Amino acid sequence: MTDTKSSPAPSKLEKENPASVIIIGAGFAGLGMAIRLQQAGVTDIVILERANDVGGTWRDNQYPGAACDIPSNLYSYSFAPNPDWSRSFSGSGEILDYIHHLMKEFQLQRYVRCGKNVVDVIFDEKSALWKATTSEGEVFTGRAAVMAQGPLSNAGFPDIDGIEDFKGHKIHSARWDHDYDFRGKKVAVIGTGASAIQIIPELVKEVDHLTVFQRTPGWVMPRPDFETPDWNKKLFRKMPAAQAALRQVLFLAHESMALAVIWSSPLTRLAERLGRWHLRNQVKDKWLRRQLSPSYRIGCKRVLVSNEYYPALQRKNCKLITWPMYKISHKGIRTVEGVEHQFDCIVFATGFEVSNAGTPFPVKGLGGRLLDDEWSGGAQAYKSINVAGYPNLFFMFGPNSGPGHNSALVYMESQLDYAVKGIKKILDGDLRTLDVKPKAQTQHNNAIQKRLAKTNWNSGCMSWYLTADGFNATMYPGFATQYANQMKTFEEDDYMVVPAA
Amino acid sequence: MAKIDLDKMLEKVKATQWSLADIDWDAPGAELITYEQWPKLKDFMADLMWIEHVGARAFAAMSRKAPTETLRQMYSYFHAEEQRHANAEMALMKRWGMLEGDVIPEPNVNLRLVIEWLDRYADDMPFYILGAVIPMLEIALDGALCTFLLETVADPVCHQAFERINDDESRHLGVGFTVMEMQGHNKTTIGIIKMIAPIVDPRLLLGIASYVPLLNKMRDNIMDMGLPEEKLYAAMRKFEKIGGRTADGRRNPWYQIIQTHGKFVVNRSNRFYHAPVDAAVKLTGLIPRRMLPAVPSWVKELTWQPTA
Ligand SMILES: Cc1cc2nc3c(=O)[nH]c(=O)nc-3n(C[C@H](O)[C@H](O)[C@H](O)COP(=O)(O)OP(=O)(O)OC[C@H]3O[C@@H](n4cnc5c(N)ncnc54)[C@H](O)[C@@H]3O)c2cc1C
Ligand SMILES: [Fe+2]
Repeated sequence: MTDTKSSPAPSKLEKENPASVIIIGAGFAGLGMAIRLQQAGVTDIVILERANDVGGTWRDNQYPGAACDIPSNLYSYSFAPNPDWSRSFSGSGEILDYIHHLMKEFQLQRYVRCGKNVVDVIFDEKSALWKATTSEGEVFTGRAAVMAQGPLSNAGFPDIDGIEDFKGHKIHSARWDHDYDFRGKKVAVIGTGASAIQIIPELVKEVDHLTVFQRTPGWVMPRPDFETPDWNKKLFRKMPAAQAALRQVLFLAHESMALAVIWSSPLTRLAERLGRWHLRNQVKDKWLRRQLSPSYRIGCKRVLVSNEYYPALQRKNCKLITWPMYKISHKGIRTVEGVEHQFDCIVFATGFEVSNAGTPFPVKGLGGRLLDDEWSGGAQAYKSINVAGYPNLFFMFGPNSGPGHNSALVYMESQLDYAVKGIKKILDGDLRTLDVKPKAQTQHNNAIQKRLAKTNWNSGCMSWYLTADGFNATMYPGFATQYANQMKTFEEDDYMVVPAA
Repeated sequence: MAKIDLDKMLEKVKATQWSLADIDWDAPGAELITYEQWPKLKDFMADLMWIEHVGARAFAAMSRKAPTETLRQMYSYFHAEEQRHANAEMALMKRWGMLEGDVIPEPNVNLRLVIEWLDRYADDMPFYILGAVIPMLEIALDGALCTFLLETVADPVCHQAFERINDDESRHLGVGFTVMEMQGHNKTTIGIIKMIAPIVDPRLLLGIASYVPLLNKMRDNIMDMGLPEEKLYAAMRKFEKIGGRTADGRRNPWYQIIQTHGKFVVNRSNRFYHAPVDAAVKLTGLIPRRMLPAVPSWVKELTWQPTA
């Protein structure tokens, strides 16, 4: 992906007049932010997007089989329902269509500046403006800024020697190469996470032979996917209330999963039994079953859902390899059992670089403080959205806002509304700075970390939720409802307010 | 052998890997195998290869049971490394024209019984039991067999392969003995009794019933090849010496059990031990192959081919 940490070109040119709000990233978060601001009467918005189109996750993840694993009715904005979802779990293309539909419906195009790769964001104390500089050296300024660059937007590669040496074709799941012809090819997939288990069943149908390299097996649950019947779509169009009701039911169903996924409870055991049953039911060979059996508590890592994954692995032209990989050579992958597995193409389904101990690009606040330094031991914020010393700045999917069991967009909606409140205060109250008090932030985090200690995520497995030292800066330890309640109130006492001169 | 830092060892293991492709299996030297050697060497190699493979499966079980993340990873590497040894030994057999077609040689009946037992029960066995048995198998069988092989076979490719195999093996032993000591560390009498308790577990008894004749059977095979019995015993005594070098090691009751048993094996005049065990070897030899259950699918992962 683009080198987000490179320094900007020397000649800085101010691009536009200061906006009320600059938003970095045009995925669900950035666009949702613009919609909610617009609905609150703020239209002086600039969205900076490094790619040539909006859509974020769903623009990038176009690999075969890409789909959401939260029902579409819940994985969409409640303020913009879509009656036309074709299946309970929509594919990536359909979600991207929905995003484009949002663009049209709310006329967001006017805010979006594509091809603007932000390389640093600095608070200018003289003007009390946030300045975002792009890799071309352009500078965009705004009274408030929203970090919506996505928690999972930078492709991650595994830490194996020799990746550069491989002479065959390389594809990352989040940058699919649609021109590559897989027919007749020997292909490897590295990784068995959320993306891999969607790719594998599709790819195995096309290639001559598929080899899957697994490091740690995940919990895989059966998935109740079905097409939406026509009468259903009609009903939703005529009676939006029916769709809202379904959304509520789905929401509650996912909320109840928190009991299984987040904490260790009898429901955790039940979910593990369901997972084991699914495996036994779909995999007959004892050794393969052993290779696929997770050895950690369910919920410690992201729970996977698929009906097609286990059958795909057992197809004649598919093989699962669990030997540790130690090197990539120019022809293939060497594993510790001494064999070099040779391929025409390696697919990296190895996820993303997650900055849970730092920021993807430099963010400078009051007195030149650098957020990367402050977060080096693990990211921290107040209610996931503000950080002391970085006034007028709002984080989408900030520290400890991650949903383990429910739609990210449910969490996002409460963040958007919270940010609207803050931004309105700055604009309407003509504030110079709105900055959370360090003490409020510390108190919030002490409470969060105390609650996290009791969760499955912190139960001993390694996952991208945790920093190298095991600090959980990612997940929210509770129900989505609790999170929504946390975000509902804007405690002005927790902030230091400096009026404009 | 001093007690080792397991985290450093894991780093070292990860940093020093090798593949079958690193060895030129077609290099000259295969002709150095003599006409008289060939048939016995063939049986010997088949046994050796299977023992590596059995060791591999045991490490897989240990990885599941490991008390720390470091050991979990370590044993998953050892699992793969033992598999690599079996693969490399198979590649040698291929080189020496000992594979009929490309098929894997059949394991002897005693090995088959051990494989069967491992497949059924190894994952249920307590970590500390496997942790004491495996070093014994490694030191006695692997150790003695490999040294002997290098003394009798002149083929340089064989030496090349075993240089690498022995490097791996010495790390396995280092970790094995360190872990055995860890298991004996600070154990109270009650802790020790708890560790011994599983000995009445019928699953473990079955395991003992397949492990015990295996040792005698291997002794017979080795003697067939002309290895002085003494060498095997010397290797087994090494287990006693290294395993018992610290108080922690000696406190591990499974070390005591295994090494006492080792003494029985070594003492040929102990008729009470050897008469029934030798009889068991004979008896198991009579089991018709078709009566044995199908081999588990992990066995089919073996390959002599450097690339796939
Ligand atoms: C394969 C996949 C499947 C998923 N499935 C689900 C699911 O089923 N349910 C669920 O709840 N969540 C799911 N997620 C999580 C998903 O990331 C979020 O739901 C959501 O899409 C995040 O939206 P976002 O706008 O925050 O980030 P993104 O969608 O990643 O958007 C961020 C945007 O910012 C841009 N950007 C990044 N850096 C810069 C920069 N320096 N300068 C300018 N622009 C920049 C990016 O190009 C991108 O367009 C999935 C994620 C992936 C990767
Ligand atoms: Fe070995």
